Amino acid sequence: MTFLIAARGVGRRFGGHVALAPVDVEVGPGEVVVLVGPNGAGKSTLLAILARALSPSSGQVELGDGVRVGWMPQRPAHYGRLSARQNLELFAELEDVSGAEELLRRLELPDDDRPAAALSVGNRQRVDLAIALLGDPQVLLLDEPTAALDPRQRRRLWETARGVRDGGGAVVLVTQNVEDLEHVADRVAVLLDGRMVFDGPVDDYLRSEAAGALA
Amino acid sequence: MKQPFLLLRKDLLVLRRSPLLLGVLVAYPLVIALLIGLTAAYANAKPRVALVDLDGIPPRVTVAGQSFDVDALIDQVAKNVELVRMDEGEAAQQLAAGRVAAAITVPEGFVADLKGLVASPHLTLATGTGGIAPRVRQQMQALVYNLNLHLQKAFIQADIRYVDLLLHGGKGVVLGHSFSIIGLDGAARLLARVPPSPTRAQLEDFVHDARLALALTDNAIRATAAPIVLDEERGRGRTSALSAQVQSYGLAITITILGLLLAAGALAAERDENVIGRLVRGLVGLGRLIAAKVALATAVALALGLAILVGFGIAVEAGGVAGGEPWQRLPLVLLGVALAGIAIGAAGALVGALARESRTASLVGILVVLPIVFLGLVPREIVPAAYWISDAFPFAHAARFFSSALYDRRPWEVIGREAAWLVGLAVVFFALARASARRLAA
Repeated sequence: MTFLIAARGVGRRFGGHVALAPVDVEVGPGEVVVLVGPNGAGKSTLLAILARALSPSSGQVELGDGVRVGWMPQRPAHYGRLSARQNLELFAELEDVSGAEELLRRLELPDDDRPAAALSVGNRQRVDLAIALLGDPQVLLLDEPTAALDPRQRRRLWETARGVRDGGGAVVLVTQNVEDLEHVADRVAVLLDGRMVFDGPVDDYLRSEAAGALA
Repeated sequence: MKQPFLLLRKDLLVLRRSPLLLGVLVAYPLVIALLIGLTAAYANAKPRVALVDLDGIPPRVTVAGQSFDVDALIDQVAKNVELVRMDEGEAAQQLAAGRVAAAITVPEGFVADLKGLVASPHLTLATGTGGIAPRVRQQMQALVYNLNLHLQKAFIQADIRYVDLLLHGGKGVVLGHSFSIIGLDGAARLLARVPPSPTRAQLEDFVHDARLALALTDNAIRATAAPIVLDEERGRGRTSALSAQVQSYGLAITITILGLLLAAGALAAERDENVIGRLVRGLVGLGRLIAAKVALATAVALALGLAILVGFGIAVEAGGVAGGEPWQRLPLVLLGVALAGIAIGAAGALVGALARESRTASLVGILVVLPIVFLGLVPREIVPAAYWISDAFPFAHAARFFSSALYDRRPWEVIGREAAWLVGLAVVFFALARASARRLAA
């Protein structure tokens, strides 16, 4: 299978602490991979390395030819003093892509002069999602995107993820939410203490010891 | 290459959307510059000096036939010190406590010696040991000089009166003894009645020569008393508030504090906003991110610097003050502001990269910037080490650049040297900031 994004022996240390032991992950077209694990297992670290926001201490990340990657980190990652529109327009200009206007409408983001810091946590998450979607990325990396969303917005996010998958792209989604698994996951990867302990189809995961350990 | 400019535009937009923050950022360095100016003015204020009168000087003293109002005379000569009368014990206590900078004592018999015109009466000066002592000593020497100047005039008048007596004869008093003399005029008249003889001829020659010589004594005495006379032309220079030093230091202080805090805070804020990760994943490298913060510090320094220069220029024009070229040299000074803004912005970016959080960056920025400014204000003659240390920071070079660009007739040598320093410091601080910024992305 051709891959869109792959981690080859990727690991990360912070000083003496091993946040992520070397792991291998390959994500192909039409896949939604859900990354699960307890707090501190290394999920966000792996996602940040895949997004090239964090350099790995070992290994490397490979991208398919011309693959664009969108990344939505766990914490809000935009300018709190700028409005949602100003944030989107700025990041669109930085990435040299268009589509800020369309994303504002599609994600029903507040289009007023309020600074993003004044928006609700859910709205701020959607601002981050919109920034991640700029330029129609083939790979979408989402770090706990549904944590602060209401049920309606959660469904919209699942639709977005499925849309990327159905368009031949891929989604890697970190979550603690079982619903995310049920609605969008094609494959599950489990990280425990910085080590990959499971990587397989959802059904296999649900029957695995890893699922029992995380329940 | 457009990414740093996009981030610069974003930072300016953030500043525009934060008017309170912007106001504080602009007002703070201006207030600091003003406070430093006031402190400098206080340093030039009159030191308090105890006056201990052990002789019980009367309100009026007559010396060499001229009557002096003692308090008025002291007011007239004590222009640079504040003389406070107190007894000997209190003066010693206040001097020991540092409440007076010095104590000057008028010993017993002072007025009698002064009136006697035989021996010079003495005053005793006691000073503390602090850095102000040499200045107080100079000012007290100036006070005694001024007193002597007033007394000298009385003595000269008395001497001239005696010479007049020698010439024309009459009655006089010396050391309380009255006398009467015929003078050279009277001697000439008496000689005319003496029968001619070689002895009379010799005496007539002497009287003639002596009369001529004494006729010239008036100017000779005045010239001997004051071989050099200093005439003062008032109001020719600038008021100290508009001096070259105040203008260049005010400008340098303002842009140093503003530029350093702004660059440090803006870089650390990128991490606070959690956007460093977004930026470094191929959008904006760390070097360009720092370049954007340096550009922000430079842009704001240029805007504020221009406002300060125009303000000073208008004040100079309105005050009709001569000297300096506030308008012609404006582009040259702005070049200096830009160079200083780059160097200061790079130093601020280093602070921001090391501090990592904007609150810490602001605190560290304040802790760092004030010593940098004060080191640059210490004169080379007072603490040479401070002067050399200040060379490692942009402030002192910026102040020298501005001063030379504004007021030197031939500024090119100083400007060239200080510009080279600023460029060199900018390169060093930028490299250090770039190396430290890896911590932000970790």
